[in-house]
Amino acid sequence: MSERELTYGEAVREALAEEMRRDPRVFIIGEDVAEAGHPFKVLTGLVQEFGTKRIIDTPISEPGYAGIGVGAAMTGMRPVVDVMFGDFITLAMDQIVNQAAKVHYMSGGKLKVPIVFRTTLGATRRSAAQHSQSLHAWVSHIPGLKVALPSGPYEAKGLMKTAIRDDSPVVIFEDKMMYRVKGPVPAEDYTIPFGVAEVKRAGTDITIVATSSMVAVALGAAKMLEEIGISAEVIDPRTTYPLDKQALIDSAKKTSRAIVVDEGYERYGTTAEIASVIADGAFYFLDAPVKRIGAMDVPVPFSPVLEDLTVPSEKMVFEAAKALCGKA
Amino acid sequence: MPTNVIMPALEMAQETGKVLKWLKSPGDTVAKGESIVEIETDKVTVEIEAPASGILRDVTARAGDVVPVGQTIALIFAAGEAGGASPTPAAAPAKASPLARKIAEQHGVDLARVKTSSGRIEKADVLAYVESHSTSTAADGTAARLSAASPKARRLATERGLDITVLHGSGSGGAVLAADVAAATLPAAQVPAAAAAAAPGVARVEAPGVSTVWRIMAERMTTSWTTAPHFYLVREVNVSRLVSWLEKARKQTGAHITYTDLLVRLVAAVLAQHPRANASWKNGAIVQNTDINIGLAVAIDDGLVVPVLHRAGTLSLPEIATCREDLVGRAQAGKLRPADIQGGGFTISNLGMYGVDAFNAIVNPPQAAILAVGRIADRVVALNGQPAVQPTMVLTLSCDHRALDGARGAQFLGALADLIEEPLALLV
Repeated sequence: MSERELTYGEAVREALAEEMRRDPRVFIIGEDVAEAGHPFKVLTGLVQEFGTKRIIDTPISEPGYAGIGVGAAMTGMRPVVDVMFGDFITLAMDQIVNQAAKVHYMSGGKLKVPIVFRTTLGATRRSAAQHSQSLHAWVSHIPGLKVALPSGPYEAKGLMKTAIRDDSPVVIFEDKMMYRVKGPVPAEDYTIPFGVAEVKRAGTDITIVATSSMVAVALGAAKMLEEIGISAEVIDPRTTYPLDKQALIDSAKKTSRAIVVDEGYERYGTTAEIASVIADGAFYFLDAPVKRIGAMDVPVPFSPVLEDLTVPSEKMVFEAAKALCGKA
Repeated sequence: MPTNVIMPALEMAQETGKVLKWLKSPGDTVAKGESIVEIETDKVTVEIEAPASGILRDVTARAGDVVPVGQTIALIFAAGEAGGASPTPAAAPAKASPLARKIAEQHGVDLARVKTSSGRIEKADVLAYVESHSTSTAADGTAARLSAASPKARRLATERGLDITVLHGSGSGGAVLAADVAAATLPAAQVPAAAAAAAPGVARVEAPGVSTVWRIMAERMTTSWTTAPHFYLVREVNVSRLVSWLEKARKQTGAHITYTDLLVRLVAAVLAQHPRANASWKNGAIVQNTDINIGLAVAIDDGLVVPVLHRAGTLSLPEIATCREDLVGRAQAGKLRPADIQGGGFTISNLGMYGVDAFNAIVNPPQAAILAVGRIADRVVALNGQPAVQPTMVLTLSCDHRALDGARGAQFLGALADLIEEPLALLV
């Protein structure tokens, strides 16, 4: 393992470039993916290496290019469809939910749809209500889809490579606020298996399950908790489907308390599913109800002051953990 | 339809009972009320009586088996009923939801007695039954509230044989948490190996096995000691009137009346005036007992049991003596029945016969107080400004400070001392 550091965006780009070199069937399609190199500059330089036949700019029509992607995947290609904002996935829901997720099943296994939808989640970029949502629970709900949420540069590369090589449709949600975050990323070819959670920090008093950028929030809260004598374990499921239920249950059994933090809306959210898994699997080992912390159930405000209030913060997680541990 | 013989629940936290020995064999004719099987519960060995007359069949639990509370262990067929016919479902006599079953188990309720309008016994039906048959009313007016406890705390309490309802809860709303259960049990596993190893030159003898009764006594006392904040009120009382009363009572009734009997009589009278000493601290509320049931601490071969004189205030002295003799005799013979050890609201522990001057007793959970009685001895006391030799006795009242405070405890003890020094006041 080399010790070099990349940003989250560079790690995504490296994964895409390595896979496109390895497999000629892989191509990228979406808005502003070629010359513009993506609004978040994730794809900068790819069109120079692979040309416009493999990095395809499309008109502004999510249903159109998502449909092209599904058809291409059904007929032997391995497309990476770029849906630049998670909010726009709503426009491609028919292609993702009714087509991509169903074709393998409805063809009796004869057809595969090896497609990756790359999109984003996360607020606090002052992008307002239509460009700031975290809608991963929407697609995690659908049988036939796999959903990955990289929490850092290492995961961004490893999960992207696994997604491209997977024969099922995968939706990857990258946190748009993390593209400039740096971290160690091996230069060599590696993948991260789906459905395997990672303990980001070991602890004994409380389990904090966190996804995507909330892993950093949870680790910050864990530091604050350490100062008041509470040892928090932070665990990142890395994929919401398949979900590593056993790891979450085992951790909660060990600590006897759990908090689930996720940037999707709290209601009917990812936090509810994970909390339920823990409550069911670790019931007789729990000393407190499982606590959920999601985004506030409101359209994300444009006002910076208000927007910041809607996202789970280190302080919120810290206070909730303190209360669960009876130290409030 | 045959009648089910079920493993009874004798206390709130009891999950299982152990079959010690069958007193009747399959095929034997049994009469209703006749003892048919010996059961060992967490506290005591009891004999279970036949719930109906008929022929005992389908015995499913053998001696030594540990059986969940509420499970059928045998059937009694009425004379003429086809023996060996399809037995009724083993789990419980009526259709009931799992939650209803759990609550019934916690409250020692026989589901067969619970009425339901829906054909399936639900939680509300059981709670209604518990409320209507409850002998206690919580301060907030709700009877028999479920005790709040985390799942982990419940599991640990069950594993350690602790009654979760008497534990102090440190969680939100007074919920019992795992740490509270841990605090109520001795961390035996934490004895460092170095301490456990014998010092050189010290001979070690393997301790004999501990009986269930002893283990439970140890655990309950630990729970009480670590969760109930104790305080003690000591009072020396002149017992010259009590001594003469005892002589007269023995002469008049011909019964073998003891000082303990007299104290039961007097304590019952004082509890009626000071009901706070006949209460429990439960889930952040003081639960008042409506009946005056007085427990007597009785030493038996393998520990301590506390049989209860129910509604002691309604009994005459000879009745108290007869009851006490019967209870103590059966306690020592290991023949107590479930009802004998249930429902106590106050306990008297008398070590006078062992020559003890005075002692501090540990409160018997979940009760508010216990009276420790020392020996009667001639002692020099001041009488009308002069030293005089008088028979006296030292009483120590141990109180759970969550249910009683110093003033209330002192008022109770003062009233009792006054009655002992002038028992005629009973007639006022």
